[in-house]
Amino acid sequence: MKSLRDKYCIVGVGETEYSRGSGRTTRAMAVEAVRNAILDAGLTPRDVDGMLDYQGGDSTLANWVAPDLGVRLNFYMDVFGGGSSTEALVGLATGAIEAGMCHTVAIYRSMNGYSEFRIGGTGVRAAQPVRSLDLAQVPFGMRSAGQNFAMTFMRHMYEYGTTSEQVAHVKAAHSTHASQNPKALLKERVTVEDVVSSRWIVKPLHLLDCCVETDNATCVIVTSSERARDLRRRPVHIMGVAGRVSKPRLDFHWAHGPITRVAGYYAKDIVFGQAGIGPEDVDVTGSYDAFTFTTMLQLEEYGFCKKGEGGQYVSSGIIELGGKRPNNTSGGHLCEGYTHGMNMVIENVRQLRGTVDDYCPRAAEGVHTYDYAPGRCRQVKDAEITMNLGWAIPPTGSALILHR
Amino acid sequence: MTAEGKPVPVPTAETRHYWTACREGVLSYQHCLACSRPQFYPRTLCVGCGGARLEWRASRGLGTVHAVTVVYRPPTAAFRPEVPYAVALVDLDEGFRMMANVVGGAPETVAIGDRVRLVWEQRGDAVLPQFTRAEGGGR
Repeated sequence: MKSLRDKYCIVGVGETEYSRGSGRTTRAMAVEAVRNAILDAGLTPRDVDGMLDYQGGDSTLANWVAPDLGVRLNFYMDVFGGGSSTEALVGLATGAIEAGMCHTVAIYRSMNGYSEFRIGGTGVRAAQPVRSLDLAQVPFGMRSAGQNFAMTFMRHMYEYGTTSEQVAHVKAAHSTHASQNPKALLKERVTVEDVVSSRWIVKPLHLLDCCVETDNATCVIVTSSERARDLRRRPVHIMGVAGRVSKPRLDFHWAHGPITRVAGYYAKDIVFGQAGIGPEDVDVTGSYDAFTFTTMLQLEEYGFCKKGEGGQYVSSGIIELGGKRPNNTSGGHLCEGYTHGMNMVIENVRQLRGTVDDYCPRAAEGVHTYDYAPGRCRQVKDAEITMNLGWAIPPTGSALILHR
Repeated sequence: MTAEGKPVPVPTAETRHYWTACREGVLSYQHCLACSRPQFYPRTLCVGCGGARLEWRASRGLGTVHAVTVVYRPPTAAFRPEVPYAVALVDLDEGFRMMANVVGGAPETVAIGDRVRLVWEQRGDAVLPQFTRAEGGGR
């Protein structure tokens, strides 16, 4: 597989407030997030000439957002889809630049994911007609994301002895990280007991195994390494990327192979092959924690532990700040806010720059205490390499490896 | 499961035979005449070999639960009267896998490995395949 390792960089990141009731349009939020990322990079709107965004009929297209910012585009595309788009679009941005179509691409996602279009399948989405292939599952009351993942989780518990308590450590760890993050929607630390005693949603998911639907917009900016050298921030280099890698049966994925096997099985050789590294070289991971169990499944499928040992891995302390390989140091989808994958990439960029926005007295200057007690630091010391594990439906995933 | 507002199949060219057979009390699946694989749900080509010669066969409606979950929070208002309900992946004895509810008895007691048999649910103009425990657990 061809590799563009280190030829491209993420140079700007930005977001709006995470809220449950923005009171704003996705257009206004997208403009703010892209503007913040442009300023973060030390660019001006005239320096951006590419735009990519993703959505599911719930957001504002690039042809409205770019002119609002004073950006004239040489390339843009609006992509249908949700999770797993983030890393895929970072890869497409490098491809568009490599093809000579443009030189600097802003990638955004803007969603009123709580106040307008709830991802859980309720609200506006629930009113959509059910036809054709969906008939293999939707008539039986299987529609939401959590329901779609449930069979995989249940079978994992059956085959490998994975327990609810083990996997609840993911929420506990991410809530600890969120308590060090002024932006996080849910800053309160929760325990394993809190998770397993919360009400059932769909087995084996309790309420606190599920992420927090959020209103927000987010943006990352990609350009060439040559351009990145002259910009405001320390460049973060793209080592490898895999986008929307899928199981053989995307439609009724349960019909092919072990149902506990997820897309990372197919994506890992692509992304690690490009990067020329292995899981042991990664300092910080960013999993798609739509649910606690998705984190566990991804980490084992990408080889951070053996298949079937994800429960032990996530409950061992490795994924916590201060552990060997912290995961979702911002609190992720479970606690910072649900962004369809963007905020874990933004967080890893800041980790590699050494500039996360925690409660250290001199955080704004990039000075951190590395004291992970409540209300203090969330910067990982000397983070060199991060990896994002994006996800959508169970059979589709994306991944991105970055280094400073 | 009979509440108003639940999804009712809208047959397409590819699925019409299947839904018509359901109304006649037959659970049908496709059998590839080229590679002999069973196929569910209906489509135009064999996903195994690409063969276009697909024959309809009737399942005996007996199978084994491969995975099961219990839904507590209804996906839409129409399912609110039904929670909690069990949804299972069932491996039919003919070699294909399908999803349906396991009805009858406490949903929490449905387990991987349970033997189930086909039952029918009338929903609007359509008839849906569902399952119930075949041995002992049906209650």
